[in-house]
Amino acid sequence: MQLSAPLSMALATILLPLLGALLIGLLPALRKSGKPAAYLAVAAALGSLLAAIKLLSDQLAEPGRVVLEVTRWIPVEGATAAEIGIRLDGVSALMLVVVTGVAFLVQLFSLEYMAAEPPPALGRYFGYHSLFIVAMNILVLAPNLLQLFIGWELVGLTSYLLIGFYWEKPSAARAAVKAFWMTKLADMGLVVALIVLYRDSGGFSWTAALSAGTASIVTALLFVAVMGKSAQFPLHIWLPDAMEGPTPVSALLHAATMVAAGVYLIVRVYPLFDAAPDTRLVMTYIGSFTALFAAIVAVVQTDIKKVLAYSTCSQLGYMVAALGAGSAFAGYFHLTTHACFKALLFLGAGAVIHAVHSNELTDMGGLFGKMKLTAVTFIVGALALAGVPGLAGFFSKDLILEVLYEKQQFAPLVALLAAAFLTAFYMGRVIFLAFFGAPGKATQSAHDGHFPLSAPLVALAALSLAVGFFGGNIAELSGAPYQFHVGAVGIVGTLLGLGGLLLAYLIYGKKSVSLDAFSFLAPVGALARSGAVDRAYQAVFRRGVLVLAGAVGWFDRYVIDGVMNFLGWGAIVGGRQLRRIQTGNVSDYVYAVVAGAMLLLAWGMFG
Amino acid sequence: MTPLAYILLLAAALFCTGVYAVLTRTNAIGLLLGVELMANAVNINFVAFSSYAGGHAGQVFAVFAIALTVAEVVVGLSLVILLYRAHKGIRVDEARALSH
Amino acid sequence: MALIAFGIIATALLLAAALVVTTKNLVHAVLWLAATLIATAALYVTLQAPFIAGIQVLLYTGGVITLMLFGVMLTRRHERVLVENDSNPKRRPLALATSLGLFALLAYAILQTPDLPRSPSGKMTTTADIGRSFLGEHLLAFEVLSVLLLAAMIGAIVLARRYDQGAEPRSVVRKKTA
Repeated sequence: MQLSAPLSMALATILLPLLGALLIGLLPALRKSGKPAAYLAVAAALGSLLAAIKLLSDQLAEPGRVVLEVTRWIPVEGATAAEIGIRLDGVSALMLVVVTGVAFLVQLFSLEYMAAEPPPALGRYFGYHSLFIVAMNILVLAPNLLQLFIGWELVGLTSYLLIGFYWEKPSAARAAVKAFWMTKLADMGLVVALIVLYRDSGGFSWTAALSAGTASIVTALLFVAVMGKSAQFPLHIWLPDAMEGPTPVSALLHAATMVAAGVYLIVRVYPLFDAAPDTRLVMTYIGSFTALFAAIVAVVQTDIKKVLAYSTCSQLGYMVAALGAGSAFAGYFHLTTHACFKALLFLGAGAVIHAVHSNELTDMGGLFGKMKLTAVTFIVGALALAGVPGLAGFFSKDLILEVLYEKQQFAPLVALLAAAFLTAFYMGRVIFLAFFGAPGKATQSAHDGHFPLSAPLVALAALSLAVGFFGGNIAELSGAPYQFHVGAVGIVGTLLGLGGLLLAYLIYGKKSVSLDAFSFLAPVGALARSGAVDRAYQAVFRRGVLVLAGAVGWFDRYVIDGVMNFLGWGAIVGGRQLRRIQTGNVSDYVYAVVAGAMLLLAWGMFG
Repeated sequence: MTPLAYILLLAAALFCTGVYAVLTRTNAIGLLLGVELMANAVNINFVAFSSYAGGHAGQVFAVFAIALTVAEVVVGLSLVILLYRAHKGIRVDEARALSH
Repeated sequence: MALIAFGIIATALLLAAALVVTTKNLVHAVLWLAATLIATAALYVTLQAPFIAGIQVLLYTGGVITLMLFGVMLTRRHERVLVENDSNPKRRPLALATSLGLFALLAYAILQTPDLPRSPSGKMTTTADIGRSFLGEHLLAFEVLSVLLLAAMIGAIVLARRYDQGAEPRSVVRKKTA
């Protein structure tokens, strides 16, 4: 196989981190040395990022270019059942940059954030990170669904490993297992979708022409997997728990890239979804409901990471709704902008947590004076998320609202508008609680981080400011028409966002509006705070599992063991009876011989 | 001349006599005698076929069979002696434990 | 003529065989077996197989019967007591039925077989023929047979050997030193 330049670049984005992961994984001395392993991982990520940037700039020069190189993997008679390889086009090139870029910045951030970890743990941490980049790039560059599935499962694995990074903490171990279970449950959808797809089209390509019924089935199954990975209601419950992992992990995996893999999957296989309007309708409703629901829950969280986690759910809901409404580009655009500002928000939150050693908003307050850089970048991210005009989130969110309006999906549109208001409100709440007002008890010694901690914040803040203006380029990359314009819905959405910020300021900043004025919303708050979904899961699944386990246990004990015992008893009794034919009397044996001879003789003559 | 069938019938009768002996005798040596009768019947068949068909393969076979019978008697009698030592008697209906 | 001879021999043979299985005295039974064997030898002679007949008399009647008699004597419990050749009376009807059934089957098979020769081929098989056959075409079987006989001999010695406790070599040594 002749390696063309783009192909070798694309391979480098996978192989460099793979080399890092292998070296760290296979050389215990390197892993236990901590810092060298970390530098190796960061260098690999940087190399990967540079290759990705080169690929993206080439791609921008030639937007329609598709580099497709596959090799036969599982041959079956006469055909090829599976291929692996690389598909490089506008969508994957941009995603590659997003993944490697955020990964690199997060790793840089982690150099300082995780510095207090013992060296072996640090080595392990960066090994996982390198593995994550490998897995994610395999997913992003996949030329077919099978390879995408491989990357999909690998990122699930690294997610599990990184959530459970503090495995000595029972809650972290439990959260890791929960995330694994929930996503694996959803991934069954992907597996079955692969099987159905293969049966109907004889391959794993997403461009295969399917009949309408099959397309609905395959896309519905794929969407189940997406619901798990991208934390859509009701499979979202693992994401808030995943915050047990280190904050940079939350930024990388559980905000910017991995959870967006579900959205990326849909964008990738959009030809299939295009043919399945039923599935897309369901997606629109689930996405917009998730956006609203998660935003409500985010309002009552006191843990800064939990606020951001639910916010992530909510924003993923936006993307899914947009994809469901029929615009792959709108979802993809929001994915890109969201990756920037949500990674920024998480890293900013990480910087704050690093400074005050607490996740609780009540422990913070008045940090603006002490952590200027962090505060400013965080506020930029928050405003971008809230949809303040000119910032990244404004453009992509506006586009989503426009798309829904255009497709006349009014109920989801209303939900998303409400979610936009709430988004701005809870981000305003975080800002005013954490950075303004009376200093919290743990804030005395708080200060900005050093270069590794600050540089990623600045870089991401710059991106959050800028990336929205590149909507045209992104549209060109994904081959969709895009012209920014301000419509009525966009104005309403923006005004609602500004209103939310204003309300947050009045309540938490100026304190001129008392929370008591909203006491009529107390039941909603209580419900949101109670983790009702979690409890419903527990009620259904714990009881269900116990009942099922009881039934299975009963079956095992009485039916299966019963059969075994019966067989054993039969053998014993049968043996006891059979042994009587061994009389020890010679004549009896001779009888048997003679009888046998006579039978043979008779058979020979008459048979 | 004697038809072959007569000789075969004779051998069959002799064989069945042997079977009867083996089925009824309680004495181990009595059993051996029955076995001898049966072997003898077989030999008669060998020789008869050889004689009626021409050639001498049957007779060579008969010699082999006789040698085998002798070997069998030798081993059989030593077993009888063992049986006698173990049970102070050679009644096979008393020696039916199949173990110690 | 031959038929008459066959009739006489057959009658003697079956009579002797019947006595072997019915007589009460084991020594007598063995002797009746000898009679059976000799009658068989006579039959062989009429079948123009003199060598087999000779072997029958020498080996069977001479060797086997002698062995049998030794066996009888070695396993007698008391001197001069009749060695009983019991048959279990309860077993007799079933045994008789089985034997007769077998005979019926065999006889049916024989009589049903078409084209059985009605007279011997008339060719005499000489000792020289059999000897050539042994050392020619059946040489391997002949040698294997000799190994079998050796094995039987060793087996008989091992089986029938008396393992007296006092006969062990070590105790012999101890006796000497004492």
